Amino acid sequence: MSYKITDACNGCGACKKVCPVDAIHGDKKKPHVIDAELCIECGACGRVCPREAVQDGFGIVCEMIKRSEWGKPVFDRKKCMSCVICLDACPVGCLTLSEAVPKDPHGYPSLNNEEACLGCGFCAYECPVDAVTMDYDRRGGGRG
Amino acid sequence: MGKGYMGKILTVDLTVGDITEEIIPDDVYEKYLSGMGLAAYILYNRIPAGADPLGPDNILGFVSGLLTGTGSLFAGRWMVVGKSPLTGSWGDANCGGNFSPAIKRCGYDGIFFKGISSRPVYLYIGKGKAELRDASHVWGRDAVEAEKMLLKDTPAGARVALIGPSGEKLSLISGISNDGGRMAARSGLGAVMGSKMLKALVLSGANRIAVHNREEIKKLSRKCNKWVQFQPPFLPGSMMPYVGAFMRMMPTVLAQDGMLYKILLRKWGTGSLNQMSIEMGDSPIKNWKGNNEDFGPKKSVTTNPDVFTDREMIKYHCYSCPLGCGGICSMTGKYSETHKPEYETVLALGGLCLNEDVDSIFYLNEALNRAGMDTISAGATVAFAIECYEEGILTKKDTDGLELSWGNSDAIIALVDKMISREGIGDILADGSRVAARKLGKGSERFTVHAGGQELAMHDSRNDPGFALHYSVEPTPGRHTIGAGLYYEMFQLWKKVKGLPKVSPLYFKGSKYVVDEEKAVRGAACSKFMNVLNGAGLCMFGSFLGANKIPTFEWLTAATGWNKGPEEYMEIGERIQTLRQAFNVKHGIEPKNFKISDRAVGKPPLSGGANKGRTVDIDKMMEGYWEQFGWDIVTGKPGAECMARLDIEVQ
Repeated sequence: MSYKITDACNGCGACKKVCPVDAIHGDKKKPHVIDAELCIECGACGRVCPREAVQDGFGIVCEMIKRSEWGKPVFDRKKCMSCVICLDACPVGCLTLSEAVPKDPHGYPSLNNEEACLGCGFCAYECPVDAVTMDYDRRGGGRG
Repeated sequence: MGKGYMGKILTVDLTVGDITEEIIPDDVYEKYLSGMGLAAYILYNRIPAGADPLGPDNILGFVSGLLTGTGSLFAGRWMVVGKSPLTGSWGDANCGGNFSPAIKRCGYDGIFFKGISSRPVYLYIGKGKAELRDASHVWGRDAVEAEKMLLKDTPAGARVALIGPSGEKLSLISGISNDGGRMAARSGLGAVMGSKMLKALVLSGANRIAVHNREEIKKLSRKCNKWVQFQPPFLPGSMMPYVGAFMRMMPTVLAQDGMLYKILLRKWGTGSLNQMSIEMGDSPIKNWKGNNEDFGPKKSVTTNPDVFTDREMIKYHCYSCPLGCGGICSMTGKYSETHKPEYETVLALGGLCLNEDVDSIFYLNEALNRAGMDTISAGATVAFAIECYEEGILTKKDTDGLELSWGNSDAIIALVDKMISREGIGDILADGSRVAARKLGKGSERFTVHAGGQELAMHDSRNDPGFALHYSVEPTPGRHTIGAGLYYEMFQLWKKVKGLPKVSPLYFKGSKYVVDEEKAVRGAACSKFMNVLNGAGLCMFGSFLGANKIPTFEWLTAATGWNKGPEEYMEIGERIQTLRQAFNVKHGIEPKNFKISDRAVGKPPLSGGANKGRTVDIDKMMEGYWEQFGWDIVTGKPGAECMARLDIEVQ
């Protein structure tokens, strides 16, 4: 279910800027709206809103979190099967495959562009073998 | 809650530039699944009878699969569909890489094009918007180069499917490329894309794919992955021809468990078969008139599978594949790297032409991938041309001085380059062997080996009559990726589907050639099952693990929440097969005309080698197969009663 913006919105535009699928529209200093058809529920809008004006699909108000404290994926190479599901799941394309090493010809995923990562957790959610987990505690909090 | 599919398609009219979203009712998916089944439903209903495959009425569709993006494994296959200009029938081609999920990430199960654009264009979808963009800057560029150029202007994670110069030049053996030269090669659908002036699809979506029970799918995937990761040490590549020779010498066949092939695929890829298949009689040699003795281990040693893995820089996994049979190889010369040449490519450009020069195969693999030309049909057409040269039908004057003798790799390279650029004799050969034979005349038709115009793949139907059957009876003729005696053994469907016959673990070779009802049942089961796989977007190699190890039906039920079991899914497969056959009938195809060339059924039989004296009674096999579907056993056409039983509305 799509995220929603409430009347508390002051039109600062932070959510519109961070949305990876251009699902948010609205003029500067005017209330913004999320297009439910386009929303992929990554939650980034909620994490950047200074007014607590974003609700998730269940109506729970999202808490603003410093970007440096957003969860980041951690990869378990022993469980990973190199299937690239996580790379495809990422809405901003911030993961990459490693080069092969002499004793292991398969490539493995890693976080290539930490700044672009939205901490959405889709990579972890879609991994069938639990080889990706989100580290929410590393930086002292984040989206649970 | 979702059901694995997106419930929408995008249709694009290139003549007027209209782009329309369409909602597909749930009952269509319940009847046909997604992927090729959905495509069969759309194309059967919307392409007018008798439409010119290269005209505006033909529809070219790009479809993902129902299981793609749901958490199942091996679900990275996409398909391109349309009326084939090569065979005049239903056409499709299947490919891996990362393009299949990209279709669904844009919110669609399929993207369908009709009409013809007045200028080169490509379709761009990003952030919920679809638009046609000018493609004049990439028109004429090869598929690898153009893909890089198109990706330069798009966000990270975008995916491209496109044609190379062969598709632009309407070569009837051209295909569609993605991920740097992987090819949906067969049926000549690259020419359909070229005829529409459509260079590429560039997809950059991030839609979520909702399913009924993702946790259940993941649980099934984890169990399946354990089988895939089981990889005991195996023989070195140099031993593979001896394994093949042992199989040839045995009077009996040991029914194959697909786990063995899985181990070979993970270690080497399809190239594991390069020498083994020749020795056991699975590879056609010297344009199907030779045998394994003409291209023995001392000649084929250059294509020892270790040669390919030695050049492999990294394994290549398609989307959601835990196995990774592909690879990216380094090479020297004009190009620095290439997708690891597949068995089909190595044999079509190697043994079929008696070519021992592996470096030429690496070059041709990359050159053909970039051009967007099918390596199987290209190799088969070169072999045909060499035989024409040997028989005096082609002379040095015709070949612009090329000494077109068996195994002359310099001449083979020069000839393929001419086919790609459509120069001189290459212009005649660029549309495949059947069209070339019609143009050359002088009885050259007897040197073509095809079904309905589609060159046969590198699996000898005299060794496994199941290949003869599926080459001849499928609505997409000449294909090796649907069924065979061997495939039935590996699919192990009897472990899941009630009433299907079990294969004996050991049987005499001669029994393969006995035509009976049980063989027809097996053949029909392969066709139905492959339609299910192609509706799900699953990989055939994954399914070789066997029905107890890869949970195809269970994944489908967990994704959709439908109350269906294996028998119901097999009925869907039957419906798709009948609909595709009805598509052919609607377009004036006589199914019996798809019977493969005499040479491929051993008429006359070979006088030496692994398949010495073998003849396949293809007519009887075709009748038996049609009977299994309830189609007319004389014409191969589905009747009104059969269509009504499967709830298909006749067009």
